[in-house]
Order: sequence, then C-alpha cells, then structure tokens
Amino acid sequence: MSHAHTEDQAQSAPHSHKKHYLIIAAILTVVTGIELGIPFLKNVPSIWVPFQPVWVPLLLLLSVGKFGAVVGEFMHLRQDRSIFKILFISPLALALLCLTTVTLMSIVHFEPFGKGYAATAVDLRNGYTPPSDGPKCDPPLPDDQFKAAYAKAEGAGFETGKKIFGEKCVACHGPAGGGMPNLGLNLTDTCYKYGGTFKDLYQTVALGRADGRMPSQAAALKSEEIRQVAYFVRSLRGKNVPGGQPCVGEPAKD
Amino acid sequence: MSAPTAELLEAAPDHGHHQTVENNFLGLPNIKLAMWAFLGSECMFFGSLIGTYFFYHDHSLGGPLPQDVFSLNITSISTFLLLTSSLTMALAVDSMKQNRFPPAVKYILTTAALGAAFVGFQIYEFSEFVLEKHLTPQTSLFGSTFFIMTGFHGAHVTVGVIWLLMMAALISKKKLVPGREATNVEVMGLYWHFVDIVWIVIFTFVYLLEFIK
Repeated sequence: MSHAHTEDQAQSAPHSHKKHYLIIAAILTVVTGIELGIPFLKNVPSIWVPFQPVWVPLLLLLSVGKFGAVVGEFMHLRQDRSIFKILFISPLALALLCLTTVTLMSIVHFEPFGKGYAATAVDLRNGYTPPSDGPKCDPPLPDDQFKAAYAKAEGAGFETGKKIFGEKCVACHGPAGGGMPNLGLNLTDTCYKYGGTFKDLYQTVALGRADGRMPSQAAALKSEEIRQVAYFVRSLRGKNVPGGQPCVGEPAKD
Repeated sequence: MSAPTAELLEAAPDHGHHQTVENNFLGLPNIKLAMWAFLGSECMFFGSLIGTYFFYHDHSLGGPLPQDVFSLNITSISTFLLLTSSLTMALAVDSMKQNRFPPAVKYILTTAALGAAFVGFQIYEFSEFVLEKHLTPQTSLFGSTFFIMTGFHGAHVTVGVIWLLMMAALISKKKLVPGREATNVEVMGLYWHFVDIVWIVIFTFVYLLEFIK
C-alpha cells in the first residue's frame, strides 16, 4: 500500500488493515494444522517415541500463541489502552492460576469424598491395583473361620458392619439394602451377581465390581472392617425388603 | 448483550463529528470499557468450567470415556469455522472504521453464518454423544463436566450469532446512532473473538490432549 494512495482517501477514514488480518489468519490456520498433525505422528514411532516429552508442551505453546495472536491482533489489545489490558489480563491470570492449581491437585491426589480411593474407569482400563500407600487387604479367611467370626458379629448385632454400611454403601444400595435403579443391586434377596459366599462378599467389598461402579474399599477400610461389612451384608440375605430391586444373578449356593 | 443494544438505540444528537462516542471520564467509549471488564469476568467463568472438567473427567466411575466419544474430524471442522469467523469479524470492524458499511454488513453476515455452522456441528456432536454413545450429563463426571463446559461455550456462540444478525439489520436500516457505528461493531467483535479464544483453549486442552496422551 503506497503512502500516496492512503492520502487520496478521505482524511477521516483510517487505512485498511485487511492485509495484516489476512496474514494473522493464515498463521493461525497453519498453527492449527500443525496442532492437528501432532496426534497423527503417533503412527510414525520413529518420530513419536524419541520426542515423546515434547508433544504436550508443544501443543500448549502453540495454543498459547494462538490465544495471544487473537487477543493481541484481532482484538487490538496489543496496541490498545492499558486500562483494557488491566481489565482483561488480571482476571485471566487469576483464572490461569486457579486452573493450574486444580490440575495439579487432580494429578497429585484425588479424594473428593474424604478418605478412600474409588477405582475409576480409567484405572480399571489401565489395570487397577489399589494404591500402594494405602492399607492392604488380607486374603479372605478360610470358610470355617469366617463362620465363627460371623456368629460373633451376629452376637454384637452386626454393629460395626451396619455402621460402615450406613456410611459407604447406602448411597447406591439404599438405606435398607434393597438396591436402587441403575445403581446398587438388591442385597436382601437370595441371588448374587458376584457370588454370595463369605469369600465372594469380602472380595466384592475389597476389590470392587462392575468396572469400578461398585468401588473398591481396599484403601478406605481396614481388612477387619471389610469383613464386618461382609457379615452384615450376608445377614441381609432373604430379608426381601419392600421396594427392593429385582433379583440379578444366581441363587446363593451356600 | 442488552446493554450495548440499548446504547445504540438511544437517541443522541449528531454533532457532525466523525466517530462521536459516549465517553466516560477516561475518554474512552463506555461500552468498550464495559466489554473488556465483562470479558475479564468471562475468563474466570470459563476458567472455572475448564478447571472443573480437568479435575473430574478422569474420575468417572464408568464409561464412555473421552477417547471413546471424541472425533477429531468434527472438532477440526468446527475449529476452522470459528477461526475463519474471527477473520471475517476483524474485517467487518476494519470496514466499519473506514465508514464502508455495505462490505461490513457482508462480513458480519458471513461471521454469523460461520458461527451458526459451528453451533450446528455442536448440536450434531451432542446428539451423537447422547443417542449413539450414551454419554449424557447424568452418565458420569466426564459427561457432567464436558456438557456444562462445551454447552456454555455453545450458548455464547449462539448469543453472538443473534447479536451479529441484529447488528447487520441495524446497520442496513441505518438505525445506529451516527458516529457510533464502528464502536458498536468493534465491541461486538471483542465478544466474538473472545468466544473464539475460549474454543482455542477447549480444542487444545480438552480434545487434542486426549489424542496424544
């Protein structure tokens, strides 16, 4: 654009920035193209593998660049008054700080419901093992020892098991253990989807079932507490509370 | 949205100066100052929605998971649509500043069409997630946080499209306060570009990261 041409135009009309905007848009398109290409590099292990640590930071960097180009050039913030910069950038910084903190929290530890760790679908797909820093579960006791312990718990009115059930299980299995639609199964009928022996019940509580929708309690409860829950659940058999969910699984064999 | 619209409908004497704008004590257009303040608050709004998504999406108790439902094809098209719309929006503001209204209206309508297409792709994506992939806001933490975040973004785009169409009509019918037309379009442009940058963040952090993990 020649200088003479600009002067020919009406004095009040500023000259066009069309060319500048087209260049910015072209750069943004190319950068987006590069971003989109990165996932496809997975198919080229000779490039993907050696530069593995680079991909995520590179993607973030390109994204920040695009963000800056749109705000700085399309929105004119780079050349605009500093009051606009203050108004926009200070809340943005606050938002980024919050975002970073939350992301770090999510990576480092996740305990939304207090003590305990529920296996997630992602964990299970990656081969879930209870966290190593949490308390480990004992293997299930032999059947005769279980029966004796059950009798003892029965004598105490299943006090411990009932209390833990009220804290951890009722959200899905209902206050009386009758189950809830699309959530926990009915524990008061006589059939079991994952087995009704002491050993089965213990393992269900300890390790979780149904891809983690029945979450593992291995880290949240001590082995003895898990046993007490199993005794209480066993005591619900055949109570058939009103409004319970329909029977799922096989009739109990023991 | 209502504030700038009310502003531009308000009758004001034309002193015959070019680019007469309602100034505040800083000598700046009030609506532009208000828009930047609003966009600052929007940063925190979307920051918290994206943060919530990051915090929870990995902790669903059941599928489907992000990698089961996301499609890079649809998202890429949406991204290019919105990126192009930012260019046409910038060109509209540029034309307005040179008092060339007919090309500005053309650019504004193009921007609106691109935005509407983006919303169309999002409706398609959402219905595919719900009907075929069985991901609803009730399914899991991923579902809840994903739909809230992208849904609010889509709602912003929709509001922007309505605003663009109204602005195109007002310019064509010469209903804007003379001298303030360019500022009105510029402020609308700020909103539109902001919606685009939110999508830049969502596209990279939510979609693309899922494919390179």
